[in-house]
Parts: sequence; structure tokens; C-alpha cells
Amino acid sequence: MAQIPNLDNSPLNLKSIREQSQRELLNILKNIRGKKCLVIDPKLGGSLSLVIQTSLLKEHGVELWHLSAESIQTECTKVVYLVHARHSLMRIICSHISSDITKGLVREYYVYFVPRRTVSCEKVLEQEKVHHLVTIGEYPLYMVPLEEDVLSFELDLSAKECEVDGDTTSLWHIAKAIHKLEFSFGVIPHVRAKGKASVRVADILNRMQTEEAVNSSDMGLPEINTLILLDREVDMVTPMCSQLTYEGLLDEFLRINNGAVELEASIMGLQQEGKKIKVPLNSSDKLFKETRDLNFEVVVQVLRQKATSMKQDYTEMTTTYHAFGEIIMLLTCQRLGLVKTTKYEKYGANLVYYCRCFEYIEELIHKQEPLAKILRLLILFSVTNSGLPKKHFDYLRQRELLHSYGFEHLETLINLEKSGLLKKQESKSNWLTIKRALQLVIEDTDTANPNDISYVFSGYAPLSIRLVQHAVRSGWRPMEEILKLLPGPHSETKRSGFSSSPSSDTLQVASTTIDKDADGRRSLVLVVFIGGVTFAEISAIRYLSAQEGMAYDLIIGTTKMVNGHSLVETYMGNLV
Amino acid sequence: MANVSVAAEWQLLYNRYYRKPEIYQMKWKHIDLSRNKVACAPFGGPIAVIRDDSKIVQLYGESALRKLRIFSSSGVLLSETVWKHPGGRLIGMSWTDDQTLVCIVRDGTVFRYNIHGELLEPNSPFSLGPEVFQQTVKECVFWGNGVVCVTMAGQLFCVPDFKNLTRTVKLADPGIEAVEDEEDEGFAGMRCVAVIEPQYTMSGNVEVLIGVGDGLISVDEDGLQPLAVGLVPGPLQKMVVSPNGKFLAMFTHDGRIVVANMDFSQIFIDYACESVLPPEQLVWCALDTVLAYWDDMLLMVGPNDDPIRYFYDEPIVLIPECDGVRILSNTCMEFLHRVPDSTVSIFKIGSTSPAALLYDALDHFDRRSAKADENLRLIRGSLPEAVEACVDGAGHEYNVSRQRTLLRAASYGQAFCSNFERNRIQEMCKTLRVLNFVRDHEIGIPLSIQQYKLLTASVLIGRLINSHHHLLALRISEYLGMNQEVVIMHWACSKITASLTIPDATLLEILLDKLKLCKAISYAAVAAHADKSGRRKLAAMLVEHEPRSSKQVPLLLSIGEEDTALIKATESGDTDLVYLVVFHIWHKRPALEFFGTIQARPLARDLFVSYARCYEHEFLKDFFLSIGQLHEVAFLLWKESWELGKNPMASRGSPLHGPRIKLIEKAQSLFSETKEHNFESKAAEEHAKLLRMQHELEVTTKQAIFVDSSISDTIRTCIVLGYNQAASKVQKEFKVSEKRWYWLKVFALATIRNWEALEKFSKEKRPPIGYRPFVEACIDADEKSEALKYIPKLADPRERAEAYARIGMAKEAADAASQAKDGELLGRLKLTFAQNAAASSIFDTLRDRLSFQGVT
Repeated sequence: MAQIPNLDNSPLNLKSIREQSQRELLNILKNIRGKKCLVIDPKLGGSLSLVIQTSLLKEHGVELWHLSAESIQTECTKVVYLVHARHSLMRIICSHISSDITKGLVREYYVYFVPRRTVSCEKVLEQEKVHHLVTIGEYPLYMVPLEEDVLSFELDLSAKECEVDGDTTSLWHIAKAIHKLEFSFGVIPHVRAKGKASVRVADILNRMQTEEAVNSSDMGLPEINTLILLDREVDMVTPMCSQLTYEGLLDEFLRINNGAVELEASIMGLQQEGKKIKVPLNSSDKLFKETRDLNFEVVVQVLRQKATSMKQDYTEMTTTYHAFGEIIMLLTCQRLGLVKTTKYEKYGANLVYYCRCFEYIEELIHKQEPLAKILRLLILFSVTNSGLPKKHFDYLRQRELLHSYGFEHLETLINLEKSGLLKKQESKSNWLTIKRALQLVIEDTDTANPNDISYVFSGYAPLSIRLVQHAVRSGWRPMEEILKLLPGPHSETKRSGFSSSPSSDTLQVASTTIDKDADGRRSLVLVVFIGGVTFAEISAIRYLSAQEGMAYDLIIGTTKMVNGHSLVETYMGNLV
Repeated sequence: MANVSVAAEWQLLYNRYYRKPEIYQMKWKHIDLSRNKVACAPFGGPIAVIRDDSKIVQLYGESALRKLRIFSSSGVLLSETVWKHPGGRLIGMSWTDDQTLVCIVRDGTVFRYNIHGELLEPNSPFSLGPEVFQQTVKECVFWGNGVVCVTMAGQLFCVPDFKNLTRTVKLADPGIEAVEDEEDEGFAGMRCVAVIEPQYTMSGNVEVLIGVGDGLISVDEDGLQPLAVGLVPGPLQKMVVSPNGKFLAMFTHDGRIVVANMDFSQIFIDYACESVLPPEQLVWCALDTVLAYWDDMLLMVGPNDDPIRYFYDEPIVLIPECDGVRILSNTCMEFLHRVPDSTVSIFKIGSTSPAALLYDALDHFDRRSAKADENLRLIRGSLPEAVEACVDGAGHEYNVSRQRTLLRAASYGQAFCSNFERNRIQEMCKTLRVLNFVRDHEIGIPLSIQQYKLLTASVLIGRLINSHHHLLALRISEYLGMNQEVVIMHWACSKITASLTIPDATLLEILLDKLKLCKAISYAAVAAHADKSGRRKLAAMLVEHEPRSSKQVPLLLSIGEEDTALIKATESGDTDLVYLVVFHIWHKRPALEFFGTIQARPLARDLFVSYARCYEHEFLKDFFLSIGQLHEVAFLLWKESWELGKNPMASRGSPLHGPRIKLIEKAQSLFSETKEHNFESKAAEEHAKLLRMQHELEVTTKQAIFVDSSISDTIRTCIVLGYNQAASKVQKEFKVSEKRWYWLKVFALATIRNWEALEKFSKEKRPPIGYRPFVEACIDADEKSEALKYIPKLADPRERAEAYARIGMAKEAADAASQAKDGELLGRLKLTFAQNAAASSIFDTLRDRLSFQGVT
């Protein structure tokens, strides 16, 4: 099973997007003649592993390096840097070059910015007086398909940058990525956005259309019918809860990175002590495809049934399935540890037993459990209670968190306060109203035969996906009152690339039959999460998409795959 | 019959007919070509005329003031300018491919004019270099976009491309002695010079052919070599390279015209003229024949047969074209070219070709004669060729009525043939309509159809707009379905240049009215031109209409509208543009003013801060101070203290902790300036205090492991190392709660597996948080027996049950749970055990069923 996912059954031609990215990268390499040393920003390396095999790069005379503060030891005279356009990386490149100069090495330097060159990065190169030594280019990798139905814009810091630093670069990139999709698949006629960032993206997208219009007259009907943009900020509750689907749980405990987990070699049945190996996880694997979206409790049962029939189908891939069994074991044990946490999460989501929850958190701090775990719970309580009571807030921050985890986390706490995730209670919480109106908590969820998306959290229906469910079914209008209770503005726009066709103002709300294409394919809804989406939410969306009576195929765009931990980590200061 | 009169004008050379229809009566007056230097551009281009200063000025006959005049091919004056350049006599003058007039004077200065008689480099004309300046120019040989200059010293210098006038290339020294001879020939050795264009040479660089003595040498950048030694027909007086660079036409010292290929392996023409005097002009007529002009006679020599002679009683200039030669005289312009085959087949006297019959049939048809039908029957089988010939013939005609007749004939024939390509006639009509328009006297571009195809429509349009025929260019591009943007753009720019007196608002309206014709036009580019023309206000108005922010913003910056640029950039959402503006303002304005500007714009401010955080710490501090954000300054200081800590030079326990603490204290005092930052201030205060204590600890314990750990960690480390007093001191100093103290101590003791101390600790007094920490610490350390000491002491039976469950004592767990009467708990425990078993059973099943080769 390769890490590059198979996209053959995608409802949208994502393969062409990936192939284009491949071509663009190879062209860059081809245009630099001879042997060269390709230095990749480590974050980008992950994204690239979903686009192109390293073997293919090596075929083009490339020696691969990861960008780090250490200088590069290579024979090559041509050094190609492939980096995100980030200020902090520029300094490393500059130091590499100046160290070469002091050593008297003469090399040709190329810096390719992903996804585009920026004035500010070049400014740094200029200030460090190396600008004239480098050839600058762009590698327009705006998105990477993770799955048949998932696209990632690979902007892991989007939420933090927007909310804490006020740097909205990522929003422009998201709009650009969607606009690029429009060039391939037509202007998306309906756009619904909720949240400050989402509304801004919708706005920028419209500007892009006027500035550089997609000419839809020679493109036929748009393939994507509706775009739903959601800020992560609108629903911070969901990612803070522990995911209970199989894939979600894998992510919580083993961290899925770019469609793969790293496991001890011994788990894979290989006798290489201490070595870690990458195991790809994607729908190219039949068994994983079947189980990834199930509630974990069910997975165990399903697997027991499968075990008997497995031998015939999978003999040649024994190691993989050896690993599979081990992973399940591992997860089961970990899952037990999670029971208590999920219990308190449930309390949080239901706004009951506040004091007990508080005590529980206090105890975790005393035990010096990982900070991210504690912040997750705190954020969950802060968001549902619209802040922590002043008494607790001050006490926790000053006495407990800083004392236990060190003063360097002052920045973390300030960041979280700035972004409104962890704050003082100032108004009454409206969470109960929201919860009731959207039926977020459902008792007696049958996780084996789910009849609602709430199965992914064993009884809690993710708020974000409820919104999607409503937006797909009826648009924002019937639920304006609830939307107003959630953070950020919302907008709904109709766009058209056809100047000639009169705009039919009736929203295609109930016209489920019309939306079917002639060839029987369902039309598409693109749901974009600004600030990241969790695997459990994707499972819920897939569940929606698979329902009878659903008129659309849903595909997902996200700034990055996240979970509570990775999300909290982005807000942590970089002092340590 | 009309046909006869057509063919009557033809001349036969061997088996080919030639004709030279007059295309214009020249509109100019009193121009005597013999008294002027003349440069004519090919492809029906303009004619530059300037008095030849080697001839005597006729008193009263002409103005003493020397003027450079530029005419169209029809003799309409396009522009004139006074010539008063220094640098000596004008040696060479020629038009380049993009219709700029290049004039080279004796000292090697190059003056370039556009078609409007304006100097392209009015202030600093290009010079061929000091060497040329010293040696002075003797002769210039031009080709497409380049020139080779021969200096008086017999050196060769070349400008390979006038489009980038950056370098002069000195060619290899031909090594010919510069011996002045009495005939002012410069030097006896170098008799004549010709060039092979770079596109036809092997090296891709120009090659110069020089007739030396009775031989021929070829010179380029790298060296020289003699050519076809022994084959050259004696000393050469004049030579010219064919348009395709493959053949050479020569006039020898003994009065022969010889045409050969470059290695002289084949001689195509060898004709002995009556005169041994070299002709004034020697040119190729396409690739078929060579023309030589003496005083009053024009001789056309072909491969076989006798040449044709034309006689002129006035001076003429021969202008080679790709398909013939234009002949310019004082009064008219003729076009000498081979009669095309289609035309021959129609109009040749006595022709019975299908085309001729078709043409005839139309005549009968027009006269309502039944003969028409008869003709058609005769040629039924070959009707398509006949139609094709008529269409083609029409294309080659200059006479509009004859074009019309031929096209009517074609159309008449087409009606009877089903398999003729339908739009062929239509296309020809389109082409001819365009050609007829540009051939008009007023425009004066006498393109033949072949030249037009070679030139391409877009170049033609480019030439039209260059000569300010914008409307015609627009119509043509519209008519041919081409992009009109180029034309409108050029028009707008020319309009701005020409309309110095029109007020901005009025001009803007005029411009917008036309610019809107073209959807994707770049308003920014027009605005840039307005700015360059010194109309900044107009530029600002125009740029407002540019929809693309990426074009708009840089321009706004260049016209000094920084604030508008910042607004537009912010609106666009493109942070890169915002950065562009921010850097621009930063660079341009004094710091305080810059701070004020960005402070008012949140996005710009935030981006600046985020950049400055990485690279401009001090400047950022100034910024925060200037806007009174003291706590931000404090943060920066505080961060610097961490940087100091990270610095490997600041080894632990060294006096460098002093500056760190000072920084933190400075930060603290800044934090405390505002009430809202109480939290931060307190934290900084404690941080400083902690660092001091840790520092002391490191000194007393001589272990550098305390600095930069948290308060809790410090306590734990102390306990683990056995410094119980120190631990208590830290606890008191930071008012660590009893609860936390217990957790920390219990876990620290469990870490060092000091079970005795742990038990003692548990008995010190009744633990304020019960015995759970003790139980958990023991279980975590996998010490069941120790855990069992404390489990019974747990007050809550539920906790007891869970603790038992965790160490695998199912029965006790169940007992405790039932004691708690908690059914839910009991169920969960059961499930826990069951699930564990289930998981392991799956694993077992898998392991049993799958055969692992080589894997245990």
C-alpha cells in the first residue's frame, strides 16, 4: 500500500490536480540541468510525499535533504531549496549560503517558494545580502489530495496566524486554491460561509473571479454545485473531544501524518529494534476503507467476523495484517485510558457537574499530564461555558498552569486568550440553546447501526457537521437564529460564470432531482474547513454522503487534518 | 479582348513572364532621388530621404537647411526633422525590421529615429565605440536588424541586433592594408563587401564576405578564411547575397554578372555586360533573377536567354522584396515581379487553360451569351483548378476591378462545382479587402499578397498603429477576429502623449470610452504611461478602473499614492501586496510617520509586526513604544531573556543569569504600567524569583539541572535528589497548595522507588487529597503490593473498585463496585475485562490463522 492515495474513484478529477503538481515539480527539476541537491522544508516534505514518490525525484538526479540549521554536506554545485514562504525559513537559507561563502564554496542556489514567492521573504534575502546569489522561482502547490474525497491546503498554522497574529495570508491561499479548482471544474454557483475567515474567503474568491474570471462558457456545467465554508472557530467543541472512530482513535494515539502513521518496527513483525517505520493509511486498502469510519467499538466486532475470511484475501500481505492486529490491541488498551476523559468531555458538552470537571482538570495538572491534554479539556469547558469563571480562570492560569509547566507557557496562554479559546467568562453561555436546537447530544446512540452522525463520538453529533447537514439540505436561511448564536458572521451568495443565463433566483433547495447529472452522477458539495478538520468529522460527512435521499456527493477541503492535540499545539509558543 | 491587354505588358525572360505595374504616382513634389540619400524599408515600408551632402547644394533650388524626411511608399510626407547632428558625414541609413531608421555617421555614432522622425535616444545616442570613433566609418552594410561597419582602417565592427543596442562586436581583422588610393576607394585591397545574415550561417553569427584582390574571404567573429580559392571569377567590383543566404551575385572587373552558390560549385548565371563599369545598384529580384542598374538602364539577368532591358530617364532606387523588386523613381513606384502561374494561365495570349476558359465564360455570361455554358462544359472536369487559379490570380492583382472580375469568375465557377473548399473565396476576399485598404494612397503600404503572408497580419497591425493609423488597425483586427487589446492600448497611450492640452477629466472620459471596448485590457498599463507622460493625476484616475489589484497596487505606489495603495491591497486580501506597500512606505517615510500610517490599518500593522518579530526586534520595540503598547515591549524583552537562555554561550550557573533576570525585571516593570497586565506582571515577577532560586540551587548542589524548569519540576527534582528542605522552601516561596505538594511528593518518591519514605509520608498526617495519589503512583510504578497498602484506605468504594480493576483483581473490583451499588460502574468494568479479552482473542485468532513466514 503506497502512501500516495489511489484517486480513481474520486467524484472529482483530483487525479489531474495531483498529476499537474507532479509535472510542475518535475519541470522545475528538469530545467535545472545536471545533478542537484534538493533541500526541502520538512513540513513540505510531508505534503510532497502525497504527491510524488521520492524514487521519481531521484531519477531526476536529485539528492534529497531536509532543511535544518545545519549546513548541507553535498558534492552538488546546484542547491535547490523548496520551501514554504515563511520568514523563519529564510534565515536558515541565508545562513547556509553565507557559510558556503566563508568556506569558499561556489554553488548555484535556487529558491522555489511554495506556493508563491512573496515580497517579505525576498526582502529578508535582500537584507541578508544573498538575494543576488539566488534564482527565485515558484512551485504553486496550493492543495494536495489526501483521499478520494479530501483535499488539504496544507496550511497548518492557518487558525493561529489569523486569530493571534492577524496574518490572513492563509485566507488568500485558500481562496486561490478554490479558484484554481474553479478553473478546472467551473465556477461554483452557490457559496455559503459561516465564520469571519470563511466570509472573508468567500469575498476574496469573488474578487478573484472579477479580477481573473474563469471563463465558464467553454466549460459546460460546473461540477461543484455548492461551496460550504466553515471556520474552525465556529465549532471548537468537536476537535477538543476525543474521536471515537477507528481512524480518529488512530490519530489520537498514533498521530496520522499525511496519510501515514509511524510505528515501532516490532509491531510490524519486523525484527529491527527501536526503528520506526511508516505505515500508510488510506482507502486503497480495502479493509481500512471499510473500517476507518466505524465507531471503534464496532470495529472490534467487524474484525472478528472478518478474521475468518481474511486468509484467502490477504495472504500475501501478512505483515500488514499482523500490524493491523497489533494496532487494534494497542488502541484497545489506550481506549480504556480514554474512558475517564471522555466521561468528563461529556460532562462538558452537557454543561453538568462543572465542579467535578474542574477538580478533574486540577488533578491532571497536579499529576503533570501533558499540557496539550489539559488545554484541550480547558478549551472545551471554556467554549461551552463561554469562558471560565474569573476565580477559576485566574487561579488555573497563574497558580497551576504556569507553576506546573513553566513560565514559557505564558505566551501559550496569551495566544489562547487572544483567540478566544481560553478566556474569562463574561456573558452567559448559549451552548445549551445551540445543543438543543441542533440536537447535538443524543442518548442511546446505536454505534453499530448508526442512524445519525452522532455515532462518531458515541452520542455527540459534531456541531460542524450538523451545520453542514443543514446547509446542504436547506441553506442558511431557516437557521439564521442559531447561526447568530455562533461566533462570526455568515453569508450566502449566488455566483455565476455565465453572464448570459438569467440567474434563477430560487435556491436549489428542494430540487434534489434536478441536481443529478445526466450520467447519473450526483452533483458535488465542497465543504471547506478553515482551521482544520478531524477524522471523526470526515467520517460523519461520509456517513451523510452515503445516506439515501442525499442529493449530493460531499467532498472535503481543509487547511490541514487536525485533532485536539495538534490544534492546541499550534497555539503553543515557540520558546521551548 | 481585355485579356490581351493584360498580357501585353509582360516581358518574357526565357520561359518566364515578368511585369512591373505602377502602384503609385508619388505624392511628393520636387524630390530628386539623385541628389539625396534614400533608405526604403521592405514590405512596403516608409522611405527616408535626406540630402546627400557629398553633392553640391543648388542655390535657390533647395533649402540650405538639411532635413530628414520620411515618406510613405506612396510619397505622402509622414514626418520631417532637421538634421544637425555632429559626427561628420552620414555614411549609412537603413530601416530595421521594426521600422526604426538607423543612421550611422562618420564617427560611429548611431542615431535612431522612429517613423515620426523622433530620435529614440535623444540625449545619449549609441556609439559604435572608441575604436570606430578613431578609425571613422567608411561603409555600412545592413541586414534585417543588424549592421556591419567597415572603418577607414579596414576593420569590421558589427551590431548584431538593434533591438538590444548593448554591444558592438569587433570581427576578426581581415588583414588588408589600408592603402589610400587616388580614387578615394579607401584602400585598394578591399573591393566590395557583402554580409550573410546570422540566420543563414552555421555559427549563428554574421559572416562578412569581402572581395580582396582577385579572391574572396569570409570574416566572422572568430577568424577569417578564404572562400572557394581559384574558383572566384577574378577581382569583384560588386556583390550581393541572395535573400535566402545561399547564392551570391557578383559583378566582376571584366563586366560579367556571375551568380553562384556559396562554394562556387555551381555557376547559375554568367552574363557578359556591355560595360565594365560596375552598376550603381545590384539586387536580387526574389530568387530568380538579378537586377543591375546603371545610369539609365536597368538590366534583368536570368539563368538562360537574353536579359531584359528597361530604360529610365530619371534616377531610380531598387527596393528588394521577398517576391520581387519595387522600383522607386522621382515620380512613381513600380513593382517588378514574376507573373504568377495562375495569372499566366488565365491571361496568356491564346491560353486555353481551364482558368482562362472560366474567365472567358464569365465574360460571356455577363454579355448573356450562351457561349458561357459551352465554356463551362469544356472544363467541367477541371473546374476546381480553374476556380482556384482565378482566386489565386485575384490575390496577386493590384488593380481592384481586375480582382473583382477574377473573384466573380471564381464564384461563378464555384457555383458549378460541388467539391471546392467553400471558404477559400471568402478568405481571399477578406485578405484582399485588408490589402486594398493598406495599399490606399493615404496609408501607402503596397504589400503584395505574398509579402502580407510573410509579414503576418499582427505585424501589419503593429505597423499601422506605429504610424498612428489606429482606426484602420482596429477595424482590421476586428475584421480578422484578432485581439484588439494591442490596438486600443497603443491608441490610449498615443492619445495621452498627444493630448497635453486636454484636461484630465475630459481625457479620462475619452479614454474610458474606448478602453471599455476591450474586456481584459490593462488599465494599469495605460495609467503607467500616463504617469510617465507626467500626468500623475490622470494616472491615478485610470488606475482606479483596473480590476486586478496585483497590477493596480504597484502602480499606485509608483505614482506616489501610497495610502490608496494600502487600502486597495488590504481590500484584495492578498497579503503579499500589503507587504509590498508596507515595505515601500517603510523605506520612504520617516519611522514615526510610518508607524502612524500602519497603526491605522490593522492588517498592515499585524503583518509588519509579524515580519519584524523575526527580523527587526529593535525597530519593533520602537514601534510599540511609539503607539504606547508597553506590554508588547515587555513581551519582546521577556522573549529576549529566553533567547539569552538558549544561547549555548550562557552555560548554566554562569553569571549570564544576571542579564537574563534583569531583562525579565525590566519586562515586569513595563507590564505593571497597565492594570490589564496584572497577570503578565505577576508571572514575570515570579519568573525572576524562580530563576534566582534555581540559580542558587545550582550553586549549592553543583548540579546544573534546575534553571528553566517549572516550579513543580523544581520541587520534584529537589525531592528526588533528597533536598527536602529546599523543596519545602520553594513550596512556601511560591505558596504551592497542599494538594499539589502531595501529588508532587508522592510521585517523586515513587520515581526513586523510595517506598519506605512514601509510607512515612502517608502517615505524616491524613493526606488532604486522600490516598488516591499513593495508589496511582504505586500502580504506575507497577508495584502491586505497595498499591495494596493504600487501596483499602480509599474512601470511595467506586475508586476502590477501579483501582482493583487496574491491577487486574477482578473479584475485588467487583466486590467494591457492588458495595458502591453502582450498576453502571459494574457494567463498565465487565466490559473493560471483556473487551480486553476480545481484543486479545482477535489477535490470537489472527496469529493462528495467518502463517508468518520468518516472523515469530
